[in-house]
Amino acid sequence: MIILLWVVLTPLALGLLAIGLRLLNAVVRGYIEGSRADPHAARAAARVAALSLLDAERQHTELAAPLPPAVAVALAAAPAGDWEPAADLLDATAAARDWERRTFLCEQLADLAADDDTWLRAWEESRPGDPGAALVRARGTVFLAWKVRGAKRAAATTEEQFEGFHRTLTRSREEHLRAVALAPVDDPSPYVGEIWTAIGLGLPHDEMRRLWREITDRAPHHYEATFSALQYWCGKWCGSAESARAFAVRAAAGAPPGSLMTAFPLIAHYEHDESDSTDVDRTPEMFAAVDAALADVAAADPGHPRLAEVRHLLAYYLYLQNRWDEALEQFRLLDGYVGAVPWRYKGDPAAEFCRMRDESARYATPGAREAS
Amino acid sequence: MGATLRALRALVLIAGFHLLGLVLLCALGAVDWAAYRWAPAGWALKFYVVSFLLAVPVVRGMLLLRTPRDEEVAGIPVTDADEPRLWAAVRELAERVGTRGPDEIRLTADMNAAVTEEARLLGLIGGTRRLYLGLPLVAGLSDAQLRAVLAHELGHYGNSDTRLTGITERCRVHVARTVDRFEEKSGQTIAKERARQERKSAKRVAKGKSAREVDTTGVGFTYRAMARIYTAYGRFCMRATQSGSRRQELAADLGAARIAGRDATASALRALPVLDSAHEFYLSSYATLGVEFGMLPPRGEVFGGVRRLLDARAEELAGLWEALPDEPASPYDSHPPTAERVAVLEALTDDGRGAEEARPAFGLFTSPEAVLIDVEEATLAPEALLMRRLDWPDLVHEAMTARYVQDAEPVREALGPAAADAEPAALLRDFLDAVDAGTAWDVVGRLPRSDEAAAATGRAAREFARSSLRRELARLTTAVLAADGRARWQLSWSDPASLHLPDGYAAALPAALDAAITDRPDTEPLRKLLAG
Repeated sequence: MIILLWVVLTPLALGLLAIGLRLLNAVVRGYIEGSRADPHAARAAARVAALSLLDAERQHTELAAPLPPAVAVALAAAPAGDWEPAADLLDATAAARDWERRTFLCEQLADLAADDDTWLRAWEESRPGDPGAALVRARGTVFLAWKVRGAKRAAATTEEQFEGFHRTLTRSREEHLRAVALAPVDDPSPYVGEIWTAIGLGLPHDEMRRLWREITDRAPHHYEATFSALQYWCGKWCGSAESARAFAVRAAAGAPPGSLMTAFPLIAHYEHDESDSTDVDRTPEMFAAVDAALADVAAADPGHPRLAEVRHLLAYYLYLQNRWDEALEQFRLLDGYVGAVPWRYKGDPAAEFCRMRDESARYATPGAREAS
Repeated sequence: MGATLRALRALVLIAGFHLLGLVLLCALGAVDWAAYRWAPAGWALKFYVVSFLLAVPVVRGMLLLRTPRDEEVAGIPVTDADEPRLWAAVRELAERVGTRGPDEIRLTADMNAAVTEEARLLGLIGGTRRLYLGLPLVAGLSDAQLRAVLAHELGHYGNSDTRLTGITERCRVHVARTVDRFEEKSGQTIAKERARQERKSAKRVAKGKSAREVDTTGVGFTYRAMARIYTAYGRFCMRATQSGSRRQELAADLGAARIAGRDATASALRALPVLDSAHEFYLSSYATLGVEFGMLPPRGEVFGGVRRLLDARAEELAGLWEALPDEPASPYDSHPPTAERVAVLEALTDDGRGAEEARPAFGLFTSPEAVLIDVEEATLAPEALLMRRLDWPDLVHEAMTARYVQDAEPVREALGPAAADAEPAALLRDFLDAVDAGTAWDVVGRLPRSDEAAAATGRAAREFARSSLRRELARLTTAVLAADGRARWQLSWSDPASLHLPDGYAAALPAALDAAITDRPDTEPLRKLLAG
């Protein structure tokens, strides 16, 4: 009987002991945290809260900035089968010779078409030979190829994924040719999509130079074309750190203010930055590059479809350079949208954006904040 | 540490083993006594039974006073009359090492050589000495290298005092066997428990209740716990004797270098790990390529074929010699890291014997082919001996073809019952009909998919299905072309087997496959190629 008593009592006693220890632990931790609480930190937190910035969960991770209302309507209507607003918008960009908007819209539509192209087929059938539909078709196939490949590094990508990627991209080559044939003579848009085919298939440098000539003959400072070409010249695709830097510096050098070409030296730096410290981001050259981009942004058309992308980049580098006031200014203009470089490359883009934003807000001088 | 001290330590260790057994028996007895005193009779009975079961392996371990006989390694004994040159060489080596030659030489199918001795009376009296010599090892070494390996192995018996290491060895063997016995028991117990639960579960299902997960955690725990105690002791023994045994290995290496030459010994050491992995690769990729389909290479080639691989890949393998493992295989390995052994040897002054002509070690045999056949017959399983024997090129072609036909099984299943008994050619026709009818996507949907393919949605999912369709069509087409002899799998000893297609097919086939997998498929080109 005694042994039974022990058997029953021992677990009870041990359980009670465990509960007691947990309680004690909680009490001690609470005490330590309480004594650590810093009045400055509390005030800074209150200031951040007063700016009414959005939580990480409320950041839009697909877009760099809100879409113009007409574009939002067209993008919502297309998958439902109503492709005409999109077609009309795309025709309007061609009529206005607004190639920045044309490729921006094409990119958005192509992304939709890569998931489901029923509406695009309807468009193609009712308007055979439509340049806009051909453009979206070709770019959509490129997007589809990247969906098959996945966004992981080559080592983490399976043979099956690569096989599908290459097959789909190879199909896109003919579609690009068709888009070029149908496009207005001075439209660089089809070549922008072709750069991505060149990147994925690893086409030779001469092919890239040919594409680049076709583009610059039509639009010498096209943002998306330059962004795409810079990707081609990056070390992770078909070039090297040197070729990417050289390309970016050349693109920025002759460009008029407001063309946003000054973003590319920063992107080239970001793409090849392997260091763990921020020292490389605080060199005199980097300060100058960020200043140049700030001036470029100030001179740009406020309706430029890529303006927000450059602001994201600026916010990041201003933060790294401890230029809190200027960083916060950019962060406040961007808040709510994080679908851009550099956040797009991070594991949790919204969290990273919010962390840097809040830190900038904490150290920014209150007066400068009001000025923005 | 002198020989006497080493022997003393070994004796202490083995005494410890028996002491451990006694302590465990006492502990079990104490538990029983406690159960007798306090527990209800039913419980006490259970305690008696459990402790008796646990005591059995302990007592058996303690009673094994003799070193257990060698595990019977499958191999054939060769007499002096069979292989006079081999025997002469081994005797000469033994004499130069300063030890007694082996009483038996057994040829085996391993990439290994070893000398064992059935020592008696705590290792004070020597017993039968056996040299186990693996023919694949002979195939991979030069005459001088083989001499170095054998001199090293015999070197362990060079001084009579090393025979006392038999005691250490016995300690290790005792512990290992006792652990094995406990683990075997715990395995049996788990299997029994599983069977019991499954029977119970089957009854539940029969009664219309849901089956319970079979859970065997905890069962066999007592056995495993006992095994753990012995394992811990075994580790202690190993640690205690390790430095000594590593020193002996180095001494045996130096002895081998004196007899067989510095360069031969060092290069043999470098070659052994490389040969080992080459042999494994040979067995899995060549010798047993057709085993699944009941095919083997010609007689004498199952183990002898490794020579062809070693010849064809000599350069590649020589490159691997440079990279030596510089860590011991395990913390309990009795050998120092190979890199260290090679470094010690290569630091010796040049004895000028590196320039001697390298003759293959098989030169020591009267008829290498005959012994290869004999060893094959002695070591292969009876069912393997009944398998069809094919020449290497035919074996590769037939085995690869059979594999491709076999790999088309999922498609056969996915095509439904109509395709159940179809020949590959008919199966491919059915598949192409499905492509034409637009039902191929459903067929592909029933095939096993990769994680990436399963996660894909929308048009990306269709692209993965397209990849799958192309893969299956290509596989089945290859199988059909190879089965009727139009395509042929080519054997290569230096590269993977490659498919040789008839003229024009290599260019036309990819295009025909591409045409069959589009959204508006055209199977005509592929059908024409197959008919052609």
